[in-house]
Amino acid sequence: MRGFELVHPASLDEAIKLLDVDDPTVRPFSGGTALMLMMKTGVFQPSILVHLGGLEAEHAAVAVTPEGGLRIGALATLTSVEHSAEVVRVAPVIPRAMKRLANVRVRNVARIGGNLAHGDPHMDLPPVLSSLGGAVTVRGPGGTRSIPIEGLFSGYYETVLTRGELITDVTLPSQRGWASAYLKCTTRSADDWPTLGVAVSLKVTDGAIAESRVMVSAATEKLTRLPSAEAVLKGANAGEDAVARAADAAAAEAETIDDARGSAEYKTELLRVYVKRALGEAIRNGAVQ
Amino acid sequence: MNVMRPMPAGQVGRSVPRLEARQKVTGRADYVHNVVVPGMLYTKVFRSTVAHGRILSIDTSAAEALEGVYRVVTGEDIKTIVPEPYYGPAFHDQPVLALEKVRHVGEPVAVVLAEDPYIAAEAVQLITAEYEELEPVFDEVEAVTSKAVVHEVLRPAGTFPDLKHLVGRRDTNVALDYQLRRGDVDAAFAAADHVFEHEFRTQQTMHTPLEPMVSLAIPGHESLTIHTASQSPSFVRIEIARLLGWPENRVRVLVPHLGGGFGAKLYIKLEALVACLALLVRRPVKLSLTMEEQFYTITKHASTFRIKSSIKNGKITGRRCEVFWNGGAYADIGPRVTQKSGFTAPGPYDIENVSIDSVALYTNRPPAGALRGFGIPQLVWAYESHTDLIARDLGIDPVEFRRNNILREGREQATGTAMKDAAIEAVLDDIAQKMDWSKPFDRGTGTVKRGRGIAIGFKASISPTTSVAIVNVYGDGSCSVYLSTVDMGQGSDTAMAQIVAETLGIETENVKVIHPDTDVTPYDMATLGSRSTFHMGHAVKLAAQHARDQLTELAASLGLPAGTNYGPKELFKKKYGMQAGNIVGVGSYIPEYTSPAPETGLSANVTPFWMVGGTGVEIEVDTETGHVKILRMINAADLGRALNPKVVETQLSGAALMQLGFTLFENMEYDNGQVTNASFADYKIPGIHDIPARIENDIVEAEQTNGPYGAKGVGESATFGVSPAIANAIHDAVGVRLTEMPLTPESVFRAIRAKKG
Amino acid sequence: MDSTSRQIRFTLNGRPVSARVESHLDLVDLLRRFDLFGARESCGQGLCGCCTVLVDGVAVSGCLTLAQLVDGKSVTTVESLDESGELSHVQQAFIDEGAFQCGFCTPGFVMMAHELLKQNPDPNETEIRDYLAGNLCRCAAYPEIIRAVRSAADRMRPA
Repeated sequence: MRGFELVHPASLDEAIKLLDVDDPTVRPFSGGTALMLMMKTGVFQPSILVHLGGLEAEHAAVAVTPEGGLRIGALATLTSVEHSAEVVRVAPVIPRAMKRLANVRVRNVARIGGNLAHGDPHMDLPPVLSSLGGAVTVRGPGGTRSIPIEGLFSGYYETVLTRGELITDVTLPSQRGWASAYLKCTTRSADDWPTLGVAVSLKVTDGAIAESRVMVSAATEKLTRLPSAEAVLKGANAGEDAVARAADAAAAEAETIDDARGSAEYKTELLRVYVKRALGEAIRNGAVQ
Repeated sequence: MNVMRPMPAGQVGRSVPRLEARQKVTGRADYVHNVVVPGMLYTKVFRSTVAHGRILSIDTSAAEALEGVYRVVTGEDIKTIVPEPYYGPAFHDQPVLALEKVRHVGEPVAVVLAEDPYIAAEAVQLITAEYEELEPVFDEVEAVTSKAVVHEVLRPAGTFPDLKHLVGRRDTNVALDYQLRRGDVDAAFAAADHVFEHEFRTQQTMHTPLEPMVSLAIPGHESLTIHTASQSPSFVRIEIARLLGWPENRVRVLVPHLGGGFGAKLYIKLEALVACLALLVRRPVKLSLTMEEQFYTITKHASTFRIKSSIKNGKITGRRCEVFWNGGAYADIGPRVTQKSGFTAPGPYDIENVSIDSVALYTNRPPAGALRGFGIPQLVWAYESHTDLIARDLGIDPVEFRRNNILREGREQATGTAMKDAAIEAVLDDIAQKMDWSKPFDRGTGTVKRGRGIAIGFKASISPTTSVAIVNVYGDGSCSVYLSTVDMGQGSDTAMAQIVAETLGIETENVKVIHPDTDVTPYDMATLGSRSTFHMGHAVKLAAQHARDQLTELAASLGLPAGTNYGPKELFKKKYGMQAGNIVGVGSYIPEYTSPAPETGLSANVTPFWMVGGTGVEIEVDTETGHVKILRMINAADLGRALNPKVVETQLSGAALMQLGFTLFENMEYDNGQVTNASFADYKIPGIHDIPARIENDIVEAEQTNGPYGAKGVGESATFGVSPAIANAIHDAVGVRLTEMPLTPESVFRAIRAKKG
Repeated sequence: MDSTSRQIRFTLNGRPVSARVESHLDLVDLLRRFDLFGARESCGQGLCGCCTVLVDGVAVSGCLTLAQLVDGKSVTTVESLDESGELSHVQQAFIDEGAFQCGFCTPGFVMMAHELLKQNPDPNETEIRDYLAGNLCRCAAYPEIIRAVRSAADRMRPA
């Protein structure tokens, strides 16, 4: 990992400019927890690392939007998100998920933008944030655009971000009336990467499920939304029967993959169970006021 | 400090905090990891990418051209220092760097020496090698008949008395086959009411000491100093001296604290390589492995155990054991694991007719050696799972069935050695009582089922092995104990100081323990197999008694009456007219041992003491996912009298939790001989969330009558019962039997599904 | 000297220091240059916590921290805890509870326990487990570590 240059842009535009090159050895560096692993094992040999830490002052704020949602600066550390009073109020599922996300030291330095941009399908936040209807604001040489998080990932460790593009913000709509839950399943030690992550959000009106988002991660090649499970839930009573049918639909729909944490077949069965449990937990958690 | 003053007896049995506690909590304890010397070169190893192959060429030119690279060394260069550069405790089979052939992925093929570790790491990436690939063999059972032969010729080392019988052979993967024949098993099977036969398997795992292996060699004038994270400094010195053709006194081996060992740092690991490199380049050379590289260096044997038993009137009348040990590419201490564990393969039961075949095999995996139990956990896994299955099938309570067959004091164990001071039944009873075994048990509701299981095991000690200790009383009456036993966290420094203190009537905290330095500290076979408390404990006690006797003689020679109140300080002053002089007490210990007869494997004395341990668990199985949660774990052991109850308790707890990882998820995974999960990201060890909600550790009341202050070893005992206790509890909860470790949620889930049909 | 090296200044255990640092150097290796060995690399992946140090008062894995990035910051290591000559309450509790064996992971656990008690002076067992889940102890002194953290909390509570 020798011989690279660590540069410190003074502005986001300068960072984008530095990154707008046709060279995969030039990469942005924020918390660095994932990139350092790749560098230490020789998987990634950088020539230039564009350090974004100096931009923290402008791009790490957590704020409630006028609509009652959240805007989180991409350079906010996971710890600052976990402990933000605004996040606790608007989207309590996020701090609940954080307790068992990586570990304290990683959360202290990893940034929410980098966590999403890394494209690792085993991360906990992509399913959680996408189930909340979250989006990222992305700035690049061609300007600014917004991408729903459920559409951010194009494959295994791949995202739709293009050359020079950086995530600047994560935005969440108001969660009023939505009930959410995230469950993950590990099959080796408790602190292992998840074998499966399931995040669900439900909007329940008069006991019936008006709308839902069901997301699966880790067991699939990339973060995946499960519309057939959502279709089962739509209009159904928020009870055991609908939950069980949605779980079956999820299991039938998701394309799980084999790895050291379990066979695809087993993960499909886990998915069935965890969708059921996550929906149950979301209903028990109740809607955010 | 350290001034000897009379203390009431009672140093033994005190829960003294570890002597080095303060250094450890402040981060100031010495590890080899910390040692830096002027002129030192850093190294990085280039490793084989094929499992079995002939080396055609190695291209080191690009690496040598990198700025900051001092030199790149291959096996051929090593031969200029050591013409026959093969080492090992059982066979001289392991080359310092690969010669002609590579036998496992990860085998060291070349080494870069550089001024900077980052440069060495980069240069290694520039080395290439070409191999002619040979057919590999990975499975221990296939290795018996495989056409692929890992070593064409075997050369026994002849170092240790218990391995003197190893023979050189050609064209076989069998490194050792231990056989025991007692009575007539076939007749027992023919006459039985029931015959049961099962096969159990265990997976390959790794010790993963958190301090990765590290060694530093410093060349001197016709001498060599090696700082190494080793459990066996005496063996390192002997083996390095042998390789170099030097007398022992030209090789000095020092070991400070060890950041964990568990058997990984035994015999000789990196030392031969750094020694050769240092002599080759005439500069100090340090090699620090990464966590990943440890997986290519030493592991725990995978195993297959076929066990068959006959039952007549509720008694086990015959048992046949066939155990195959996957030793990997180099024997390391696998032959001893195979033989020593072979002694007790039928378990702690009184069985008239026994046949044992325990076979050590070479394969093209990374080498396997000792790991906290020397093969016993693999055996107990099989025989206690088997025992449980028999009891269930016969409709007898598993604890009752064990009691009916248990090996009692005075009875001969399979080898013909009579049981003495082995509280097997007491361990079983203790666990059963703690678990309220005879009372009804809550079996859970809905999709979560509860179950409980018990397992017990025992182990023969490593014999005959030698320990020597020195106790030095200084002019002011303070004293030190010199020994080559390595404190790798088990607390041996503290225990040995307690023995000195008890014998001399002083305070433990005032005894200084001199860490292994072969220029200074005397011989100890190694720190392994829970042998230190017994073997070194005896040597230390003898050394302290020797010192005490000399002090008594000194007093008499000064004309003082017997029982005088003069302390050592006054005696020295009276003798020398000032604070001066030493009293040096020396103690040496080797237990008696009778080698097993080659034809029958029988011996009247295979061990000076027996270790006994057992575990009971209460678990919960999530039948929808297969997840197993340990609600309660009780570990009990017979360790004679506890020298330091608190340290003993943490040894029991630590051993059981380590085995819990091996039981539930630790597993080296392979793709064509390549370990695919050689890091903590993918090879998971137990963390703080994995420990049982409740864990209890019991010291069963016992005494080892021939042990120092009634004590014996305990470092491994709580590993014995964990795996089968959990498998038995799973069976109890959901009615399925797993016969292969690890007991993953998926395997539990699949078994439940299969049972449902 | 590497062309990518750079002079940095930072505060180390309360004292201003400076060093010439290559871009690839990690914080554990930088601390070794100051003869501080309490933070040590083990897994090299930020998973075991043996290399825990504080940067500007925040716990990080030294092995995943580029040394150049501590320029202008304050770095605190385990060696600072007993600068007065007295052990901290956490350190003493670890000794009294026997919360370590080989000691290699101990500085990391001690540092993390300090951080936990700073943020939560009276943690329950689940909170202790959650907070320390990123530290590994191969000797598995976990039950004793949990007891030591509780004991330290008791000692630190104002009477």
